[in-house]
Amino acid sequence: MWVYEKKMEHPIRVCRPDVGFAKLVITQYGGPDGELGASLRYLNQRYSMPTGVAKAA
Amino acid sequence: MDNAQCALMKKICEMEFVAIELQLYLDTHPCDSDALNDYNCAVDVLRKYQLKYEDEFGSIMEIGHHGVNGKWDWVNSPWPWQM
Repeated sequence: MWVYEKKMEHPIRVCRPDVGFAKLVITQYGGPDGELGASLRYLNQRYSMPTGVAKAA
Repeated sequence: MDNAQCALMKKICEMEFVAIELQLYLDTHPCDSDALNDYNCAVDVLRKYQLKYEDEFGSIMEIGHHGVNGKWDWVNSPWPWQM
């Protein structure tokens, strides 16, 4: 169901470490109200849609 | 990562972007045969680039070609943030 690729979809360039910003990103990413939880909810809602187009998109 | 490796990775990313956009378009326009041809061409070119990359620089796909140099390289090939 999931395939890992050792590559980015879009190039990024991290030019310097920034612990404060990293903390913000990680919280928004995986925290209690983060993107990971939201994205899994959207994914499961999507699979319960009535039409094929809605399931796919 | 040397220049040749970076250049090939850039081509893979570009072609994958093309394929993803066409795939999303085809989900809502399944009867557009021109787009379908473009999509299949993009996928063919993408596969060609991926195989070339994996032969020359090591594996990028978890389920893909590994060990072309006679050893398992998935563990040691660079992670996305190391490129």
